[in-house]
Amino acid sequence: MARSLTRRLFLVGSALVGGALVVGGGLAWRRLDGAARHRPATGPGETALTPWFKLTPDNRLVVFVPRQDMGQGILSMLAQIVAEELDFDWARVTAEQAGIHPAYANTIVLADGSPPALRGMMENVAKLIGVQMTGGSTSVRDAWGAMRHAAAAARAVLVEAAAARWQLPASDLAIERGIVRHAASGRAAPLAEFATDAAARALPGSPTPKPPAAWRLLGTSPLRLDIPDKVRGVARFGIDVRPQDTTDTTGGLLYAAVRHIPLVRGELQDVRWPGGKPPPAVLHEVRGRDWLAVIAKSWWEAERALGQAELVAGGASATTVSSARLRAQYRAVLDGEDDPKKLPDLGRPIRRVFNAYGDPDRALAAAAEKARFSADYAVPFLAHVPMEPLNCTARIREGKVDVWVGNQAPTIVQWLAAGVCDVPAEAVTVHTPWLGGGFGRRFDLEVIRQALACAKVTDGRPVQLIWSRREDIQHDAYRPMVAARMTATFDAAGQIALWQHEMVGPSVSKSVMGRMNPMLAGDYPPDVTNAEGAMHLPYRFAHFRCRHAQVDLPVPTGYWRSVGNGYNAFFVETFIDELAQAMKRDPYLLRRELLAEAPRHRAVLEAAVSAARWNAPLPGMGWGRGLALAESFKSIVAMVVDVEVIDQKVHVRRVVSAVDCGRALDPGNVRAQIAGGAIMGLTAALKDAITLEEGRVVQSNLHDYPLMTLAECPHFETVIVNSGAALGGVGEIGVPPAAPALGNAIFAATGKRLREMPFRLT
Amino acid sequence: MTRFTVNGRPADVDAPPDKPLLWVLREDLGLVGTKYGCGIAACGACTVLVDGQAVRSCVTPVSEVAGKRVSTIEGLAEEGPQAAVAQAVQRAWIEAQVPQCGYCQPGFITAATALLAQNRAPTEAEIEAALTNLCRCGTYPAMRVALRRAVELTQKGQG
Ligand code: FES
Ligand code: FES
Repeated sequence: MARSLTRRLFLVGSALVGGALVVGGGLAWRRLDGAARHRPATGPGETALTPWFKLTPDNRLVVFVPRQDMGQGILSMLAQIVAEELDFDWARVTAEQAGIHPAYANTIVLADGSPPALRGMMENVAKLIGVQMTGGSTSVRDAWGAMRHAAAAARAVLVEAAAARWQLPASDLAIERGIVRHAASGRAAPLAEFATDAAARALPGSPTPKPPAAWRLLGTSPLRLDIPDKVRGVARFGIDVRPQDTTDTTGGLLYAAVRHIPLVRGELQDVRWPGGKPPPAVLHEVRGRDWLAVIAKSWWEAERALGQAELVAGGASATTVSSARLRAQYRAVLDGEDDPKKLPDLGRPIRRVFNAYGDPDRALAAAAEKARFSADYAVPFLAHVPMEPLNCTARIREGKVDVWVGNQAPTIVQWLAAGVCDVPAEAVTVHTPWLGGGFGRRFDLEVIRQALACAKVTDGRPVQLIWSRREDIQHDAYRPMVAARMTATFDAAGQIALWQHEMVGPSVSKSVMGRMNPMLAGDYPPDVTNAEGAMHLPYRFAHFRCRHAQVDLPVPTGYWRSVGNGYNAFFVETFIDELAQAMKRDPYLLRRELLAEAPRHRAVLEAAVSAARWNAPLPGMGWGRGLALAESFKSIVAMVVDVEVIDQKVHVRRVVSAVDCGRALDPGNVRAQIAGGAIMGLTAALKDAITLEEGRVVQSNLHDYPLMTLAECPHFETVIVNSGAALGGVGEIGVPPAAPALGNAIFAATGKRLREMPFRLT
Repeated sequence: MTRFTVNGRPADVDAPPDKPLLWVLREDLGLVGTKYGCGIAACGACTVLVDGQAVRSCVTPVSEVAGKRVSTIEGLAEEGPQAAVAQAVQRAWIEAQVPQCGYCQPGFITAATALLAQNRAPTEAEIEAALTNLCRCGTYPAMRVALRRAVELTQKGQG
């Protein structure tokens, strides 16, 4: 791999290790200077005034969206932002994936580096390397700076151009549904008529976007642009890619199936076929460090052939790790163990304090035994399980490389392919089809490496490599196992004096970056994603400490929708419920009191509680109601869950949420994301765990890693609190409060406190 | 050679008789609207109609559909006795803006069409029993709205 690629990936990695997020300034789009002068390719008569959209001669607006849509609706959302500024008729708006260009870099996801001191540097890094990336719930916030201001600037020059042509003052002109109008004279013409003139004018440096009061499209939920094709079944996902010259199955596309060694870590040492050779359907065998791929004319045949191969695993890195062993070592680390000999799977932990105030040590020492309260929690490894299994299609022909892959960072895909195939980046075309779910899973590059390795042996024929669901579940980069010890002390008046959150787990960012490029597997700055949702709480205490013991695991881990917030909210919001119980306080009133300095959080909590009628009686025996509050990605969600427990079986009946994401630009989609996130959180809490035994994952498909069904899905109500605060993310924020609100509801129903996921009542 | 009809057109497929219908549709016939999700009949992404019944094509050997009528998402609303119902389902799905990533949706829409074609007034319980497909994005709340609307539209006889 090229040195420069290593360096660039290192910069990306260092930034990703951050995770805290910052909102881009109003001039964000101009920070890119030269890059902002980029114009996408246009057809005859079309004009692109900015990198992000063009106008067609028949007055249509085509928006180029540089983010990837994995179901969160970003393609349509970003088009909506542009259409609003240009006052376009939604029926005349379409959106396309943008190509790769530094103008489209996601400066927020990179600039939001860990320590605030580094943020400025990271913004510069983002400009220099120009990474297009979708993640961290940043897309709208990034576009809010760049695309929105660019659209406002374009609007200004379009109106100027019309004013000049009509010799009227620009201030007398208005745009309605894509038509420029002069009210007094009744003159009107489509915006596109002025596109060429406007392109000759300089875009204003500080355009003024429309104020929210003037919005017509934003704040509403017009039909998402992607939905009709998805309903008709014609939306093309990565797995559906059929490169154009390969319409027949004999001359064109080949398929590859892949199997990894059974262990989560180790090397492929040998492949044994019955009779010493692969079945005749296999055209090629390709071996990687820990996998075998076979290429055939049919994926089903390739997959069936793999079923006969015996993969012999071993090597120095081979692991025999088990979940039970890890749990025991995690517990030892929480008890203070630092001796690597006693922690054979983890090594010596790196202990850090992510945040502290007051005097935690004194508060602990001062508290008598009975004025202390402590509880241990744990969450297991989790798989992402996007509905579309991982796949990648690649073609290497005449020095050019084409990669079709559902990905979350096309720039990095391009670098990778260029490095692997030893061609300049310009020779690589990355095609991003629809993503059949992402949730963090499609950051990983392994499937792309594998597809490229296969495409190298097929003489220019394209190869589509697909992971079976079994491979997906057994060889994911999992949400990590994490254990926590929560401690509180009470003062003489019986109020909470100290809040201490101690946990043990791996640095996910280190694992992700190490897989992107093994040369990067070294020392990492503190991984803030470990402590997000734990280190800054809206609740105020006299003494506070958030500690993390970072360990290395022989198991690959990855970003999983809401990342650290997902498990930390479970620890924090369950523990606060336990404290309320110990203090004989109402869990809502106690939270409310602790939010004295957090008015936004308090308003969201109150909105959820009132919509849910917190104090209203439940329908009967076996019912319980629970509450949780979590801030993540600059948005705040409170959730009230009602459950009914019948014969030890939990039925989630109702989920009432309140959300403050600053402003809901598309309220319907906000509701869909809250429900979708909550369902993912509830599914994890009720059903799933990835369990390791002897170095292997026990689960293998959706029968033993089940998902929530329609029948099990509760009724949802979501209240939107438009506080007008800076925009927050939406795609991940439904996850964190779901599990603790559910656990607290089960406690209310049964008196049983669940401190480990997945919840087991018996 | 297996012979059957797909979306009203005859298909002659030269594939091993035990090749699942799912892969015949996707690889041999170029009909990629039907999706692979699990391969073990657990998720329903591969749901198609065989003689009007919803089946999971990942576990249906192509030999089993010899001489039968197969409908996939590509032809569901175009052709066959269920076409009007499928149009109503799709219209309701669009009105309620059900899909997120969309990957599971062809399977759900096909299963919902099969149900409503056979039972114009299903109860909530009947719906839940028929739609055991899985959606990782959690589109179920919007789907409930769409299903109610689809029932309404089918009863009124509008697609
Ligand atoms: S792919 Fe057939 S049921 Fe999942
Ligand atoms: S919409 Fe994504 S899996 Fe259902």
